[in-house]
Amino acid sequence: MSTMLLMVRREFWEHRSLWIAPLVWAGIIIVLSAWVFLFLIPKHAPAGVLEATHVEEIQGLNADDRKELGQAIETGKAHEAANATVSFSFLGIALLISIFACIVVFFYLIDCLFSERRDRSILFWKSLPLSDTQTVLSKLAVALVVVPLGVLVLAAVTQLVLFSIFWLRFHGTLFGNVLADWNFVGWFQALVVELAILLCGVVWYAPIAAWFLMLSAWARKLVFLWAIVPLAALPALEGVFFQSRHVLDFIGRRFLGFVPAMHLDQSAFNMGNHGVAAPRIGEVLAAVDVPGVLLSSEAWLGMAAAAAMIFVTIRIRRYRDDS
Amino acid sequence: MTAIIEARGLTKSYGDTPALRGVDLNVQPGRIVGLIGPNGAGKTTVIKSILGLSSFHGELKVLGKDPRTERNELMNEVCFIADVAVLPRWLKVSQALDFVAGVHPRFDRKKAEEFLAKTDIRNDRRVRQLSKGMVTQLHLALILAIDARLLVLDEPTLGLDLLFRRAFYDNLLNDYFDKERTILVTTHQVEEIENILTDVIFIQHGKIVLDSPMEALGERFAQLVPATGNVDRARALKPIDERDVFGRAAMLFDGCNRAELESLGEVRIPSVADLFVAMMQPGRAPAASQKEAA
Repeated sequence: MSTMLLMVRREFWEHRSLWIAPLVWAGIIIVLSAWVFLFLIPKHAPAGVLEATHVEEIQGLNADDRKELGQAIETGKAHEAANATVSFSFLGIALLISIFACIVVFFYLIDCLFSERRDRSILFWKSLPLSDTQTVLSKLAVALVVVPLGVLVLAAVTQLVLFSIFWLRFHGTLFGNVLADWNFVGWFQALVVELAILLCGVVWYAPIAAWFLMLSAWARKLVFLWAIVPLAALPALEGVFFQSRHVLDFIGRRFLGFVPAMHLDQSAFNMGNHGVAAPRIGEVLAAVDVPGVLLSSEAWLGMAAAAAMIFVTIRIRRYRDDS
Repeated sequence: MTAIIEARGLTKSYGDTPALRGVDLNVQPGRIVGLIGPNGAGKTTVIKSILGLSSFHGELKVLGKDPRTERNELMNEVCFIADVAVLPRWLKVSQALDFVAGVHPRFDRKKAEEFLAKTDIRNDRRVRQLSKGMVTQLHLALILAIDARLLVLDEPTLGLDLLFRRAFYDNLLNDYFDKERTILVTTHQVEEIENILTDVIFIQHGKIVLDSPMEALGERFAQLVPATGNVDRARALKPIDERDVFGRAAMLFDGCNRAELESLGEVRIPSVADLFVAMMQPGRAPAASQKEAA
């Protein structure tokens, strides 16, 4: 176990972009958001100097809206709506960081078994009592376990930092009283949803990760092109010669299919349906069909394909002799 | 005692080009064996086969294990420096120590640190910041601190200056070698290692053309500088090589009567380099290998 931990650490020594790039990205998100909060949104948004008790004075609301908002604040529904809004913006932050991490992990995967052959350091690693299985699995673990968990932690921290800035700016205003009324429940619920989606994503993307890892072990050069060109060329060729799009559908399904596979209850995300009382994050969590993804035949076929490709990757690293 | 390396009939081809044509080896413990041959003779292919890095046909046992199927177990007791400069450029010295200490059960970190303390290599340096000689020193520091039964070195000093090369082999002898351990080293800088070797193996065109303990070389081979009038008589004894040294003929004999040679002129034990040149010359190889076979 300690060997595996050290091998994972080794990956972060070599591929420093794995941790530096997401940190920089989170920093950019924070700075840009802080800039929006501090300079683009007037402190007393949305309509002048308003306190929660002065609903009547909010401009641009008709009588019904005003009544509904007043009731909502009194009954605490505005509170729920605020939590939901906060949670959704938290999910947005997590999504931004996750997408960026996917790109970073893509470059990591196509490089990790390629660079050691390019600089011939594979001859050093192979002089140590580490099996090819351990080596390949350590790289897979970085992509499918360590980075996703890191994304979760980074998203949670980014959310807290952003929310703190938001609160410092808007507390005491109507905007603040409704939106910036901090509670950990919204934050924590968002985290649980993120974890659930992350789990689905990891299972869904395992075969893609294994595919890139296999290319990294196999390609003699131009591994980036090997990874990218077939994804564009195969659908194009199929379209030209067979006027069909099965390959494109397959690729699309493997890359984005886990979203429909989660059977998200669309209505849970539709703020309009709920009026001011927006959905609670708990409803969204209930709407994420985690077992539906994990037990789907597509997920299992994908995992089986991933296992097969990892097996091939280990064999390639063991028996290839091009150093 | 069981052999450290035992090979019988190793063959290997790269496409149509044969790299090994029936190589037999038997390396005993406590030896320092030089595997010597010109470029493309098959040295590296032999080494790669022994280390389980390359496929081959034939029988091969290293420490009693088959490197094709038992490579993982083998690497606990075998260590190697394959060629120069394979340490990754991004690696920090401290990380190299941490990593090897963490994954190698036979690594003695203190020993490696003591070795490094005698060099100019600082712990916070990355490999890319070190000179070529320092990278080799670092690699040697890591390898020498591993208590391995077999150490394989493939052209370990290629491209290094004389000071580093000398220090490298000094360290190898003083800090590492003992009767329990075995070293297999390939090089084509014959002169520099011949005085540390206990055994010498010549390989040419994928075949072993000479395999002998160093002390037996003097009994089998002789170099004769015949007296001026005796040159033709000496030639009649069929030297395996003849060349001019300062205007006088120097002849190399394989398995001749020493007393007879001494009657013809000045006899001495040839150096490994002399033998290498004599046996590796184009056109010489078949004769030499026939003698070996006989």
